[in-house]
Amino acid sequence: MGSVLRRLLFLFRRHQFDRDLEDELRFHEDMKARALADADGSSGPPSDAARAAARRRLGNPLRLREQAREPWSFTTVETFAQDVRHSLRLMRRDPGFTFTALAMLALGIGLNTAIFSVAYGVLWRPLPYANPDRLVIVSSAQQTGRGVKAFSTWAPMSYERLRSRVTVLDSLAAYAPIDPTLTGRGDPLPVSAVDVSPNFFATLGVNPARGRAFLTDASASDDRTAIVGQSITIDGVPRTVVGVLPPDFTFRPVVGNGAMALPETDVFLPNRWPGDTGRNRFVFLLGRMKSGVTRERAEAEFTALVNDASIVPSGALGTEGALAPNVRTLARAAGLQDYGTGSVRALLLILVGAVSFVLLIACVNVANLQMARLTARRGELSVRMALGAGRRRIVRQLLTEAVVLSLLGASLGVFLARIAIGVTLPLVPQFALPRVGGIVIDVRVMAFCLGLSLVSTLVVGLVPALRVGGAAFGEGLALHAGEGRTTGDRQGERLRTLLVAAQIAMTLVLLIGAGLLIHSFVRLTSVSPGFESSGRDGVVQTVRVTLPPHLYDEPERIHAFARGMLDRIQSLPGVKSASLINSPPFGMMFIQGDFDIEGQPKPKLFAGTPKIDAGYFKVMGIPLLAGRDFTARDTAAAPKVAIVSERVAREYSQGGPGEGLGRRVRLDDRGEWLTVVGVVADIRQRGLDRPVQPMIYVPFQQERGGFVRFVSFVARTATPASVVEGIRAEIRRAAPDLPIDTTVTMDQAVAASVAQPRFRMLLLGLFAVAATLIATCGIYGLMAYAVTQRRREIGVRMALGAERLDVLRLVLTRALRIVAAGLIVGLAGAAGVTRVLQRFLFGVTPTDPIAFTIVTLLLMAVGLMAAWLPARRATRIDPCAALRAE
Amino acid sequence: MKETRTKGKNELLPGTLEMLILKTLSIESMHGYGIAQHLQMLSADVLTIEEGSLYPALQRMHVKGWVLAEWKISANNRRARFYTLTTAGRKQLGVEEARFSQMFGAIMRVMKTT
Repeated sequence: MGSVLRRLLFLFRRHQFDRDLEDELRFHEDMKARALADADGSSGPPSDAARAAARRRLGNPLRLREQAREPWSFTTVETFAQDVRHSLRLMRRDPGFTFTALAMLALGIGLNTAIFSVAYGVLWRPLPYANPDRLVIVSSAQQTGRGVKAFSTWAPMSYERLRSRVTVLDSLAAYAPIDPTLTGRGDPLPVSAVDVSPNFFATLGVNPARGRAFLTDASASDDRTAIVGQSITIDGVPRTVVGVLPPDFTFRPVVGNGAMALPETDVFLPNRWPGDTGRNRFVFLLGRMKSGVTRERAEAEFTALVNDASIVPSGALGTEGALAPNVRTLARAAGLQDYGTGSVRALLLILVGAVSFVLLIACVNVANLQMARLTARRGELSVRMALGAGRRRIVRQLLTEAVVLSLLGASLGVFLARIAIGVTLPLVPQFALPRVGGIVIDVRVMAFCLGLSLVSTLVVGLVPALRVGGAAFGEGLALHAGEGRTTGDRQGERLRTLLVAAQIAMTLVLLIGAGLLIHSFVRLTSVSPGFESSGRDGVVQTVRVTLPPHLYDEPERIHAFARGMLDRIQSLPGVKSASLINSPPFGMMFIQGDFDIEGQPKPKLFAGTPKIDAGYFKVMGIPLLAGRDFTARDTAAAPKVAIVSERVAREYSQGGPGEGLGRRVRLDDRGEWLTVVGVVADIRQRGLDRPVQPMIYVPFQQERGGFVRFVSFVARTATPASVVEGIRAEIRRAAPDLPIDTTVTMDQAVAASVAQPRFRMLLLGLFAVAATLIATCGIYGLMAYAVTQRRREIGVRMALGAERLDVLRLVLTRALRIVAAGLIVGLAGAAGVTRVLQRFLFGVTPTDPIAFTIVTLLLMAVGLMAAWLPARRATRIDPCAALRAE
Repeated sequence: MKETRTKGKNELLPGTLEMLILKTLSIESMHGYGIAQHLQMLSADVLTIEEGSLYPALQRMHVKGWVLAEWKISANNRRARFYTLTTAGRKQLGVEEARFSQMFGAIMRVMKTT
């Protein structure tokens, strides 16, 4: 301990130390000289001869000083510093190599850091709540004949009963996402909000930064946004802000396990859901497990409670997806952290895998460059070895070079990752990533990055270093002397060839993955949605509004509003035709239910049940196959009618669509019978990758249910922008407090529905291209190097009569053999690995022969092209010059 | 670099140099030259201390805190670096002496056995 301290102090007093030592040794020398002079019997100051003799006895002063200093120094650290300096000097001397190596490492590490920061932020970063690992989302599932049916929501009544009975939780909260409107300050603003039970924040373990949380014992009506104590108006109800949450607070409700994450919640409103009948499931349950309770135990208790009919009434929970009676219900308690990351998790893990391939390829390539350089540096290394540098010393030097390279690459990589994240995050399709806020480059990500550079150090440094350790290096000095360099360093070259082939194999796997996604995307986008989103008559523009219950409490008012608006929209300039629907295709909302056909057993189908106005099919370009469209005469007072899609008509008549007319259908068990007056073509309602959905269209004006509050005006027009403005102005005039939810064209809606596959395809494509570039450099480097090494051999061959074509063939055949070997391994690897992409593929199998063939041929062509340049250079070798050069 | 540390060609048993220096300094503070002279004299010229071993050894002992070094005026009126034994050094001397006599005894026993 003390000695380390003294040594550290020494570092600061180096000069003093040297001076002292100098003095001490001079003193010693003087004394010695005097002693020698005394021995000779001469008195007085010692003669020069005596001095010289004394100095001789003392030996090399420099060495003596070095030796005296050594106990003080940190040898390891100092040699390391020395090695670092040496490495930097070498890098400066070879800017071409340095640039290439750094670029590759930065690319590899940068991509990995970026993807890791996303994966970490989305999947693993602990949520900003107290003990987030104890938070669970409680849902239920039933094993039925048609597979497992999962239910994420509960009726508030069930929630209250569960809350009072459960023992494994500290607290159980409920929440329900809503989308209300904030009014009273400027334009009406749609906000994302969540109705929560009063104990919601206590369950999360979060306290407001200012103000207070909700009172659990009183019926409070409060919420938060701006300033505590101020009043804001939400959905027409004035509310007092009681608390403001901390700035890093985040809550994005996940709807269903796997699909979507709603936007960040702006407003939390307390709710006890009074008047709940226990029939409608719409709240999510969030529980905090008691310390020490496992998820399994929580699930076991909930399963027992859920199957108790006095807590969760069976069989009466709405129409679609009802909990079936007499079937055991299983409760599930998913960690809040994992809940809703299902498909994202798979995608991110695939991406992490893909980028680690890129890094591996980059590292292998840099290792390859290093080895090629090592051969060139044989002279230097041999001389150093001859001068007494041990093998370990040399290996350490090489590893230090790798460390320097990797760390520099890593710093550049972090920089690159920062840019990559900044550029791509805004491009991520909406709702595709939950917890985007967690994606930042922080200490943990940096640690990961450092780990990566360690890996790259090992690959980049160890492979060449081990080569030095190999016996072949002994001949280094001889080679340096210039003897017999005909074919170069065989063993090293074999290793390099192997590495390049491995690169090709890994690149092929990545490329095939990208190829599969591209083919799948082409398949997906060539699917017709069944309507004409754009055509000769222009495009279909939609404008969606939600009529809030506090302004439109009666269906009659909604009908009147819709009717009036539609009249004005139809007369707007630029509008060819206009109509409305409550749930447009490719929209956020889809309403479906079971149905009956008069005189037939209940079909085992769910039908979409949009409410539309006259002219809808004309606007959308959906062909009317038989019968008539709805008209203005199909009012609430007129006989109830319906138009069905072909798929529904087939359910009750085998003949043409015309035979379907006149039959009666019924939506849900209690409804009225509707007479079918028309049959239209099928469409895809929910996505190009979804099957055709049976549809039963009902006149908007005849519908009194709650879903008519969602009104999407659709208009076919050649000038969508000005029409949107027109509609917007009309709505503002008719209802100033009404916010406009969205304005999209059907083209945009369809594009948005494929945004995620497109994003996946682009990302994986990007990685594959990066890998291909790097691997191409690898082949080029190897072949260029080989040609330089075999200059003389090629010269001899040409002197002996080989034609240019022969030389070309010589080089290209070798390249082809390497590429082919890599491709074969890569194909085998891809066949095994692409299965992970299964769930992201549409209409394409993981071993799709088209993607496999095209990609393989492509990579082979690229590989040969990379070899072509050095090959051509080989043909230009002047035999005389090549032979003379040695 | 590394080999030089043990390569000092003194004819001492390895590890004894530091013990001898410690012993010398236990009598009085001395400068490097004095230590060398003292050892040479006492051993009747059998032990010649190489400067190449002496000064690194002194530095090693300094680092370990066995000796203190300070500049003083020597007997012939010159500035010289004097080394003084510290408490730690004194303790070390005991350790080394014990180890040496143990080793010496062992060697003697081996040599006496016929």
